[in-house]
This record gives sequence, structure tokens and C-alpha cells, in this order.
Amino acid sequence: MEPRRFASKKRYVAAIVIGTLAFLLVFGISYSLSYIELQRVSNLQTGIGYDIFKDKLEYSFFDEPVCGATPLEKVSQDLGFQGRIIDDLEKKLGKHYEGVLARKKFYTLVELEHLEFVNILNERCDGNVNTILFFYSNNESKLDDSEEAGRILGVVSARNENLMVYSFDVDLVSDIIEKLKKKYNITDSPVAVINEQVQVKLPANIQEIERHLR
Amino acid sequence: MEIITIIIYLSVYMGLISTSFYILSFIAGGKKKKLLYTDEELPRVSVIIPAYNEEDSIEKTIKSIIASDYPDFEVIVVDDGSKDNTLEIARKFSSNRVRVFHKKNGGKGTALNFGIKRATGKIIFTMDADTTVDSKSMKNMVRFFKEDKVMCVTPAMVINNPKSIFQRIQYTEYALGLFLRKAFSSLRAIYIAPGAFSAYRKAFFDKYGGYDENNITEDLEMSLRIQYKGYHAENCPEAPAYTNAPRTFKELTMQRRRWYFGQVRNLWKYRKIISPKYGDLGAFVIPTAILSICFSVTITIFLFFKTLFEIKKNLLFLQSVNFDFPNTININFYIIERFLFLFLTKPVVLFTILFMVILGFYTYYASKKIGKPPLMILNWMLFFLLFAVLFGFWWIFSLFYTLTKKTIKWK
Repeated sequence: MEPRRFASKKRYVAAIVIGTLAFLLVFGISYSLSYIELQRVSNLQTGIGYDIFKDKLEYSFFDEPVCGATPLEKVSQDLGFQGRIIDDLEKKLGKHYEGVLARKKFYTLVELEHLEFVNILNERCDGNVNTILFFYSNNESKLDDSEEAGRILGVVSARNENLMVYSFDVDLVSDIIEKLKKKYNITDSPVAVINEQVQVKLPANIQEIERHLR
Repeated sequence: MEIITIIIYLSVYMGLISTSFYILSFIAGGKKKKLLYTDEELPRVSVIIPAYNEEDSIEKTIKSIIASDYPDFEVIVVDDGSKDNTLEIARKFSSNRVRVFHKKNGGKGTALNFGIKRATGKIIFTMDADTTVDSKSMKNMVRFFKEDKVMCVTPAMVINNPKSIFQRIQYTEYALGLFLRKAFSSLRAIYIAPGAFSAYRKAFFDKYGGYDENNITEDLEMSLRIQYKGYHAENCPEAPAYTNAPRTFKELTMQRRRWYFGQVRNLWKYRKIISPKYGDLGAFVIPTAILSICFSVTITIFLFFKTLFEIKKNLLFLQSVNFDFPNTININFYIIERFLFLFLTKPVVLFTILFMVILGFYTYYASKKIGKPPLMILNWMLFFLLFAVLFGFWWIFSLFYTLTKKTIKWK
């Protein structure tokens, strides 16, 4: 049999070019959407940060009563939402993406500002708001445990109205995180620090957390 | 990056390149002028209908073929030892044009060879006893035999009246086949001719023998043999042939096991075809088909174990939260938004959307050729949701049979 001719070798080149462009285009779209999301989270963070600072200033600078109706649920959801967006962006854009790292650092500050505010509420208004500082890690060896613990805390948060959960990435290169780790003696992850007193390492079920709540 | 992620992206990349190549070939094929018989040049045709226990459909099949507008043809019905009334029903149509034979049961290949020996036409149509055709299908197909190297012409196979989920999936699969076969024909690379209705040049049977009677997919063996001997097959999308598809998952799985088992055996038999000596067929079409099967099998196995692992993980999690479903699900705006963002920005999901658009284009082409079926969108969605998983499953199942050297009989 005589060898057959190819229909068109140029067509192969064209197909490789089109296929490669389509392949890269999809990754480009995915990356662009993540970038747009990063811009959005920046605006959201600025908004929530503004609200928290404003609330604090109202009582500390203008001596307004602090014991009013401050809806925790909304702030709790907003903070949780932001935390998730930042985690998702970290997974999509990479652990070393500067924009995400900056947002994460700012998020840590916003959380601590709110924690301080909740502590004042508890102290001055006989409040019984529980706080959990959740130290997690996105490192491969800790990721599954951290995600599981995060899911358990999500359920605990949904079951308890007067509870605020603040999440901190132990691997984030930040002075604040280092100081927090030192203050609460965090050497491993995931760890939940309940009401800034009790440490629960690798929480395995909701009882382990709930028995320490007020 | 995990190995499975690399495999998934490799398969997507290969899919994009091959899809681009087939779309370009499809467009190029449409521009090429074909050498066709005029009405006056049409040669005599013999239609062979092997039948085994087909009393429910044989009448409709014979009626549809004798209603054909082809000028000169005969019909040869070969009853392959049926235990029902197939023979009696077929004999009602006996005439100068329709000859009915009875033989001892020996399988489809033996019945076809029996008919070929008695055929007087230059072109042989093989037709399943549960298939019907349009009156113009034969004429449109035979025109392609004007070119000497054409030894086979395939029609536009259509699933007849799809009702069950699995028939609807097959409807879209066949519609997709319509596009691909057209692209393959422009590359002279059609290597699967439907057993339900295809046309062959009788001279090929005379020179290279009839059907392999011990082959479980004798139609595939014949199409590969045609390519192997240096000839090729054409496709005629303007020739609809309607066939009954398996209705249930079990029936369909048994059919696919036979097909894929036969495909492995026959590709092994004609493995020398996988070579640049055979042009686009040997250098691209068959190698990419084999690669896509390998990718599909690997990804299906991975997804199976991943699903099991996820189920176990979620059960353990539910146990850790005392099966508190309301607070576990806790669907709110944030959760939905997060889910949509994560889902819609995954490259794999974006690739899936891209392939859905391409499939939509294929389906549109098919609907232009064979008409728009009722609930076309439903068929299309079912195909997209389930076919990839089913395809991987059938291949795993068939490869297991091949590797364990089990045999499959044609029923």
C-alpha cells in the first residue's frame, strides 16, 4: 500500500494554535475573575473596618453609650464571609500573591479590632458574648485538619447566637500574628482558643467546643 | 500540582486541539467538491437484512426499504434461525424484489455472508432488522461510490423515538457522531461504519472476503479492514437511518461492553494502522481516540475513589456535629455566593462550559440534517451530565473483560 497523504499539515498547526489559545484564554478568564474578586474584597474590608472603627470611636472619643443594640450576627457573617473569600483567593492566586497577603493582614487587624470591641461590650455591659480565636494553617500537612476544624466551628457558630469566631492563619508572615501566637502560646494548628482562656487542639466535635462556652 | 490535575488539564488540552482540528476539517470538507454518481449512473444495489427473533420490527424495516426511491435494488432477508415469527412475517413480502432465506442460527456475520453470496448488486447495503430509513437515503449514499477508492458509505444514524434517559443520552451521542463522521470523512479517516445501516462495494468482499464470522463486532472489523487495505469510507449526512437504542442502563452497558471489547480486539488486530503511513487516521485520529479513552478511564477511577472518600469524610463530619443538619447546611446568601464564585471561576468548569458550547454547535448541525427532536435541550443536558462518567465506566468494564479474556457472544 502506498503511504497516504495528510489532508493538510497546516491544519495541524492551526489546530495547535487555536487549542493553545483557548486553553490559555480560559486560565486568563479564571485569573481575571479572581482579580476582580480581590478588588471587591478590598472594598468590603474597607467598609467593615470603617464600621468597627466608627463604633469604637463613638464610645471612646464621643462618650456615647456602648451597650446599645449592636447586632453581632451581621458582623459575624461579614467577617466569616471575608475570611472565606480571602482563603479562596489564596487557593486560586497562590500563597505568595502580595495582594492577597495584604488583605489577609488587614483582615487580621479588623478581626482584632472587633475582638477588642466585644471584650469591652462584655466588660461594660455584662455581656455574655463568647469568642473563639481559631488558629489554622493552609500548609498541605495541616490543611485537611484545619478545614475540618473550620467546618466544626462553622456549625458551632450557627448553633450559638452569642459567639464570634475569629480566624488567624498561623503561617502568615506578620508581627501581629507572631505576637498573637506568643500571647496564646500557639505552637501547633489547628487550635481554638475559647474566650481567650481555654485551648482546644484539633477540635474533633462540637461538644469539645461547646462545653467551654458561657 | 497533583498528578490527577495534570492529567485532567492534559486531557482538556488534547480535547481542545483535536476539537479545533475536527472543526477545521469539517469546514474544509464542506468546501471540497465530491465525485458523485448522477441518477442515470446509479448501479444495482442489494440490501441484506440479517434477522434473528425480530418479529416486532422486521415488517417496519422491510416496508421502509421497499419504499425507497432507488431505481434498481433487491432486498435479501436472511432469517438466522429465528425462534419467533420473523420468517413468516418476512415471507409476506416475498416478490421479485424481496427474497427471503432461512438458515440455521450462526450469528450476524454468517447471515451477512450468506446474503452477500446471493447478492446481484454492485453495492451491498447491510441493514439491521430494527432499523428504518428515509426513502432518499439509499440514493444519496450510493452516489459516493463513483470514486473508485470508496469502499464504504455511512449514513446519518439517528436514535428512533428516544424516551428513556439512556436513549436521550444516546440521541445526542449519535448527533455528535454525525458531525465527527463528516470531519473524519474529509480526512479519509472513518474507521467505524454503523452495523445498523451501511453501504459497501461488492468488489471489496469479492477481493478480500466477507465478514469475519467469529468477530463480535464484525462491522468494525470490516471498516478497519477497508482502511487497512488502503481504501476509505465516506459519510452521507443526507441519509438518515433510524435505529432502536437500548432503553435501560443494563441493556446499554451490555451493548457497550460488546462494542468496546470488539474495538480493543479489532484495533489490536489492525494495530499497524497506527502509523503515519495511514495519514491522518494513523497519525492523529486513532491515537487521540485511544488517548482520550486512557484519560477517561484514569479520571473515572480517580473520581470514583474521590467520591467514596468524600462520602466517608462527610459522614465523619456529620457525626462530629451530632448530625445537626439545619446548622450544618445553614444556606445563606454568603454560602451561595461563595459556592458560585468558586464554581464559576474553576478553569475545569469554564472548560466544561466551552465544550458545552461546542457540543451545542454539533447538535445544531445535526438538527439541520436530521430535524429537531422533541426535548432536544433535555437530551443535550442529560448527555453532558452523564455521558463522560458512563463512557469511563463502560471502558473500565470492557477492559476488565478484555484483560480477563472473557468472551462475549452476540445475542
